Amino acid sequence: MTLDPGAFREAGQAALGDENLRRALSRLKTHFALGRAQAVERYGAQEWETLREQGRAIRDYALSNLDALLEQFERAVRAQGGQVHWARNAGEAREIVLGILRLHGARTVIKGKSMVSEEIGLNPFLEANGIVAVETDLGEYIVQLRQEPPSHIIAPAFHLNKEDVAKTFRAAHGELDPDRSLLERSELVAEARRVLRARFESADAGITGANFLTAEEGAAVLVTNEGNGDLTRLLPKTHIVLTGLEKVVANLEHAAVLLRLLTRSATGQDISSYVTLMRGPRGAGESDGPENFHVVLVDNGRTGMLGTEAQEVLRCIRCAACLNHCPIYAAVGGHAYGTAYTGPLGAALNPGMLGVALAHHQPNASTFCGRCAEVCPVKIPLPKIMRHWRAREYASGLVLKTTIRGLALWSFLAKRPALYRIASAIAAGGLKRMSRNGRVRALPMMRNWFLVRDFPAPQGRTFQSLWANRK
Amino acid sequence: MSAREEILSRIRIRRLHSAPTVPDFAPPALANPIEMFVARAQRANAELHFLDSEIDVPHTIAWLLRARNLPAIVHVPPHASALPWDTAPGLTLHRGAPGPDDAAVALAPFGIAETGTLVYASTAGAPASWHFRAGFEIAVVRADAILPHMENAIAVLKASGLPSTINFVTGPSRTGDIEQTLELGAHGPKALAILIVQN
Repeated sequence: MTLDPGAFREAGQAALGDENLRRALSRLKTHFALGRAQAVERYGAQEWETLREQGRAIRDYALSNLDALLEQFERAVRAQGGQVHWARNAGEAREIVLGILRLHGARTVIKGKSMVSEEIGLNPFLEANGIVAVETDLGEYIVQLRQEPPSHIIAPAFHLNKEDVAKTFRAAHGELDPDRSLLERSELVAEARRVLRARFESADAGITGANFLTAEEGAAVLVTNEGNGDLTRLLPKTHIVLTGLEKVVANLEHAAVLLRLLTRSATGQDISSYVTLMRGPRGAGESDGPENFHVVLVDNGRTGMLGTEAQEVLRCIRCAACLNHCPIYAAVGGHAYGTAYTGPLGAALNPGMLGVALAHHQPNASTFCGRCAEVCPVKIPLPKIMRHWRAREYASGLVLKTTIRGLALWSFLAKRPALYRIASAIAAGGLKRMSRNGRVRALPMMRNWFLVRDFPAPQGRTFQSLWANRK
Repeated sequence: MSAREEILSRIRIRRLHSAPTVPDFAPPALANPIEMFVARAQRANAELHFLDSEIDVPHTIAWLLRARNLPAIVHVPPHASALPWDTAPGLTLHRGAPGPDDAAVALAPFGIAETGTLVYASTAGAPASWHFRAGFEIAVVRADAILPHMENAIAVLKASGLPSTINFVTGPSRTGDIEQTLELGAHGPKALAILIVQN
C-alpha cells in the first residue's frame, strides 16, 4: 500500500464503503473515547482543566526556548556518553540512522513504535540497504507483516479485526503448526510474544522513538504498554532514539505533568504500564543496557512552523485523542489520509510539514465541530489552524473549481433574501418528495454517504418561514 | 552550515519571543497514599500482598508460585540475594536472566501512590531488562518507600544521581492492539505480584 495525500478524496470515498473498516472504526467511541472520559472523571473534571492549562504552558515554554533547551539536552546526553545528531529533513535522518548502524556493524534491527520512523520512511530505506528491521509493537508488527502503514497514531492496527490478524500470522509464521488455533486474541498475542522474543535476543541494534526529551537531565522518556520499547533499548548493543526535535521540555518535572495528560487522553489509563527514562549508554557498574547511545533529532519542516499561525500544533504530544473524537476520522479511518499523521492533528500538521500543495485536502476534512480542540490535552486550537491552511489553499489556487462555483452560487443566493427563500423552499419541498416514511435515504451523487446513514425529511416549511411566523 | 547550526539558527530567527512562564504546579494531595497505591495497582491488574517483614518474602514467593501451578523456581538478581532465602528451602534460586515464562523477583526502591507504580533504578546488581524478560514478576517494596507522586520519586533519584535507565512499572505488560481489547503479557510479564513489606 502506498500513501498519497493527494488522493484523500478518492481514498475517503472508498473507505466509506468498506464494511470491515466500519466494524473496526465503531470501536473508537466504545473504547478510546469512553476510556478517556472515565479517566478524566476519576482525576476530577476541574483538576483536569488546571492540568491542561499547565500542559499548555509547559509546551509553550519549551517552544519559546527551543534552541536553548535543545543545546542543553545535547550537552547532557554527551556528558553521559551518548551522541546527538541533527537532521534537517527525512533524507538526512535516514542517512544518519544508516550511518550509525554501519558504524556499529549492525545488520539486524528491532524497533519500538516510532511515528517519526513512519514519517521519514525508515523501514523501506533500511531494507534497500541490506538491513533487516523488525517492528515489535504488536500493532506495528501486524501492519509491517501486511506491508501496510499504521492507521492510527497509538493503535497502528486499529483498522483490523482479529480474523485479519490470524490470517496475517498464518501467512507470516510458516514454520509453526498450521493446525494451531488462532481464534482468540490471547492466542495471537502469545504467538507474537514467542516469535518476537527470539528477535529481541539476537538483534544488533534497537531503534525507539521518544515521547519527551528532558533538557536538564538529558533523558528520553518512553511510554509503552507492552514492554517492547524497553527490550529494544536494553537487549541490543546499540540504542538509537529517533524523534522530532519539538519533543524537548525543560525537565523531568515538566514531563511528569505531561505524562498525566498523555496516557489519560490516549488510552484512558492513569499511567501506561511502562514509563522509562533513558539516559545515555549503560553506566559504570550497571548490570545491563546498551553500550552505544544515539539520539537523532529530526526537524523535517517543524521549525518552519515556528512563528506562524500553525506554531501551536508543535505543542502536540501525540495522544491521538483528537483522532478518537473526530467524526471524519471515524468515517474514513487513517489510511485514507495518505500520511503518517492522520485525523485533526494530521490535518493541522501535514500542510506545514509536507507543503500545502501536497496536503491541502486534509484541512477540508473537518465538520469544524470543535471536539478535537475540546479534548486536546495541550489545548491546540486545531480548527483555527485548519482554517489557516484553508486560507493558504485558496490563496494558492488549489481549491477545486466545483467547490468555488458552489460557494459562489450559495453566496449569490445568501445576499438576496427573497431569492434565498424561494430556493430553500424548493430544496425543502424536493427533499420531502424524495423521502420515504419521513426519511431521506438516497440522493443523486451521494451513494456512499447514504450507505451508513440517512436524515429526516424536511417537514415542509423552512426555518426562515417559521421564524417569520414567530415574529 | 552544518545541519545543527542551520536548525538552531532557524529556531532563533523564527521562534516567538513571548517568554511564557510556567506556573508552579502541585499534583492534587492524596489522603492516604498506601490505600491509593493499592487501589491503583489493582486497577492496573497487579496482585497485592502485605507482609510483616522481609522474613516473609521467600515463603510468600513459594506460595505464589504454587498457587499458579508454576515450578518452585525463582530468578534472583544480585541485589535481592540478601533476602532470607533459607526460610523457604523448597524454592530453587536461579541467578541468570529469566525467560518469557519464568518468575523473577525484583526489589523496588520506591512506589508511587498516585498511579500504583513501582520505580526501579538500573544500578549494579539490579538489571533493568529483567522487568521485561520475566513471565511473572514478584516485586518487593517497603511501605515507607511509597511516595505520593512521580515528582517525589524524581526528587529523591536526582539527589543521589540518575542512573542510565529508570523504569516506572505499573501492572503487568499489556496490549490493546487487537480490537482495542485488553490482553495481558504482550512482551513483558503476564502477571505482577507486589509484596508490600510493612516493617
